[in-house]
Amino acid sequence: MTRLLLPGMEGRVLGERGGLRVVELYIGAQHPASGHMRLIVYLDGDMIVRVDPDIGYVHRTVEKLAETREYVRVISLVERMTIIDACNVTLPYVEAVERLLGVEAPPRARYLRTILCEINRVSSHLYGLGLGGIFLNHSTMYMWAFGDREVFVHLASLLTGSRLTHTYPVFGGVRRDLPQSFRDEFEKAKRYMLRRLREYDKVFFNNPVIRGRLEGVGVLPREKAVALGATGPNLRASGVRYDARMTGYAAYRDLGFEPVVGREGDALERVWVRLREIEASLELVERALRELPDGPFIDERYTRAVPPAVRHWLEKGRLKLPGGYVRLKTRPGEALGRGEMGRGEITYYLVSDGGMKPYRLRVVTPSARNVVLFDALARGHTLMDLPAVYGSIDYFPPEADR
Amino acid sequence: MDPIAWLSGSLGVPYWAVRAVAAPLVYPGLAAFMVVALFIIWAERKIAARVQMRVGPLYVSRRLGGALQVLADGVRIAFQEIIIPVGVEKWSFVLSPILAFTVVSLAFTMVPGGPGIYGFRSSLSLLATYAIVTLTPILVIVMGWASNNKFSYIGAGREALVSITGEATLLASLLAAAMMYGSMDFVEIVEAQMRSHVPGLVANPVAALLFFIAALLVTDRLPFDLVLGEQEIVQGPYTEYTGLLFALSMALGYAKLYVLMLVFTHVFLAGWAPFTSPLLGSIAVFAKTLLLMLVAVFLRSVYGRMRLDQVASMFWSKLFPLALVAFVVSALIHPIYAP
Amino acid sequence: MAGSAGGDRHRSRPGLVRAHLEAIATAARRLLEPPMTMPIPDYGDARVPGYRGVVLFDYDKCIGCSLCAQICPARAIKMYRVPGDKRLRPGYNVGRCIFCGLCTDICPTDALSESIVHDRVYDDVPSMDMDPVDWAVWSRRVLEEERKPGRPLLRARVDPERGLVYERVDAEGGPVAEEKGEER
Repeated sequence: MTRLLLPGMEGRVLGERGGLRVVELYIGAQHPASGHMRLIVYLDGDMIVRVDPDIGYVHRTVEKLAETREYVRVISLVERMTIIDACNVTLPYVEAVERLLGVEAPPRARYLRTILCEINRVSSHLYGLGLGGIFLNHSTMYMWAFGDREVFVHLASLLTGSRLTHTYPVFGGVRRDLPQSFRDEFEKAKRYMLRRLREYDKVFFNNPVIRGRLEGVGVLPREKAVALGATGPNLRASGVRYDARMTGYAAYRDLGFEPVVGREGDALERVWVRLREIEASLELVERALRELPDGPFIDERYTRAVPPAVRHWLEKGRLKLPGGYVRLKTRPGEALGRGEMGRGEITYYLVSDGGMKPYRLRVVTPSARNVVLFDALARGHTLMDLPAVYGSIDYFPPEADR
Repeated sequence: MDPIAWLSGSLGVPYWAVRAVAAPLVYPGLAAFMVVALFIIWAERKIAARVQMRVGPLYVSRRLGGALQVLADGVRIAFQEIIIPVGVEKWSFVLSPILAFTVVSLAFTMVPGGPGIYGFRSSLSLLATYAIVTLTPILVIVMGWASNNKFSYIGAGREALVSITGEATLLASLLAAAMMYGSMDFVEIVEAQMRSHVPGLVANPVAALLFFIAALLVTDRLPFDLVLGEQEIVQGPYTEYTGLLFALSMALGYAKLYVLMLVFTHVFLAGWAPFTSPLLGSIAVFAKTLLLMLVAVFLRSVYGRMRLDQVASMFWSKLFPLALVAFVVSALIHPIYAP
Repeated sequence: MAGSAGGDRHRSRPGLVRAHLEAIATAARRLLEPPMTMPIPDYGDARVPGYRGVVLFDYDKCIGCSLCAQICPARAIKMYRVPGDKRLRPGYNVGRCIFCGLCTDICPTDALSESIVHDRVYDDVPSMDMDPVDWAVWSRRVLEEERKPGRPLLRARVDPERGLVYERVDAEGGPVAEEKGEER
């Protein structure tokens, strides 16, 4: 019998690494639970001794492409990093450019941005919860979360006209005013979601099987979380009171934002923080809708130059841009944009040489910062805990690879 | 009226020989199992869909709510190319799923499908059925070993652990029940329950619950689908299989579930009670078995997968000691089944 | 505020048996409720008002300013020279379009507008890349199809009990007096 023998291919042969007899397991890039990445897992028996996340499968050179496009065209480019969290990912970039342009969004626009950001956060958390569910083979949580996410996708499309890639915040404001039906639809969605969260608790969160899978798994102590630079709900679950929204961008300062903070830092706590953040986000949107100021949804500077023939759109709550908007020139300098996405803090570092395109746009996405957790959290656990760890840190490869 | 008598008369073969062939091939054997598998897989998908606020299979046979979807899938899989990867142990790779399914089918000669509907009657048929069903893990381990794939290999390891863990509790609960009835013959067990009008489920609920949970474990049903473990090990020992061999390895779990739920029906739900005629009795057995299987597949939409060490510790340190309680219950209650 | 609304996760923990029963009961209750998915493809999605689908082009309103081609982030719109026309006119590649709608925002004359469809079938890749005349003709066809949809339309609405519910609407978005979609 002829045999093809290649190192690492022969399934029955154990590898040797650092004097230890370990199994090298390649989880991904084609695997039901790897995502767009590969996890190289070293197993001693059933225990994980090391995880090497092999990332970069969906790298799309967003930073370099941004240097070849005018400022306004970069908005829908950076959106592609995380289309499921589109407003949160573009808003810090827009704010950074606004700082260089010397424009400030009118209050109404800031509130509308906040509303969409929080709706995006709810959908993003539901997406993460759903994937966290299916990683534990809990198909009901998966389908429920994705089904209920549809409610918030619907709300977002009411506001922006697009289900996922909203391209909603633009320099100086937002692209659409609040539609009339929105308040009513949101009110219903909030009531629905709060009721559903109780059901999630019963079927998923308090389900003894799920509890057993998540409790005490992948514990991230407070000091380690800070040292590793973890971010987002993963950081807050470890008891660190930090959230980029505390810097008070958009309308968060006016709304008196308070972050949800956990304590234990295990996988269950990370899921718990996400569930509570959904509640908190619903609360924030409701308050933002209540306190929504009147006024224009885009800075006067841009509306003045709009041709009179199409001005009627502005009264109907639709944006019309002046011709010069494509060729906006910023002052030379640099600006930093920070914002809290569903998965954590995103940072844009923008350098301008005074031209129409960014000279350099550096992006640090939350998933890129959280990828370090794979190795840190999975070590010492069994192979079965790896999906639980993956699901609980809510890692999103396209976001990390940029 | 009796088809078996008619067949034996027209073919000139002894009655018992016709029965020994008809039971495993027709009812409760393979033909019935095909119907059960087609229905239960559809029901599993439909129930999960309903719980998850979806529609589920629909467009194949729309009038029947997509009931023929499984048949369509089965036909597709049957004609799919069987790929034998480089580096597998060819003969064990091909033969082990076939052998495993054959072994499970042997159980249909022992388990009655109704009053007088069985292949063989033996005073140890309960134990023999158990022995046959618990032979398959060895072949599943062979599958995992022969596949030459790390995921399959890990899956085979899990199968070894799961079978040892589950079968101890399964056997203990069965023996507790057998002690209660004072018999290991399915027919006598059912008759004892019909005589006393107390089904085993009421008399010894502990043993019934343990049997059900252990049956979920040995048949890879959620929350104990460790061997399949899609999110960790793709499909466990079955990862490398394609086509008909894959269908066989998937049918294996359902066949085991069917056999074990038949056993549950006889041992704890009084088999064909309240009927004594072969036709009505068979329908009663079939309906009870299907109902039990529906409960088993419904659990898929409630639970996730339990962790390996938690399953092992739950079974050895909680359920197995509970089986001893089941023995105590049997010892206390057995006079009601005394002849 | 909501930060502490959920309370400590350990305090709310139910007993083992109760937790199992609650999980099973919650799933079983859902078994009786209808699905919340939209019955596509038997019905079409009427979309929300102001939905951003493929971009439609009105040749007569175009002034050839080329702003749309400049702002298009995906370079789906390019300027073409049309025989017998002194100005450059925009052509459209649907395959590249990301439906951001920025071109309609910047168009100074309403020559560009958004339709509610984005999921259309094309015979081949070249037919997705349209020159200005093709685009204008194609736009008229899309508009006609929009007015006469090939299948009944449903519009999603948020419902506090069932998440999303769907109601029949006609092509203009008005409600249709008809019983609910067939029960499955």
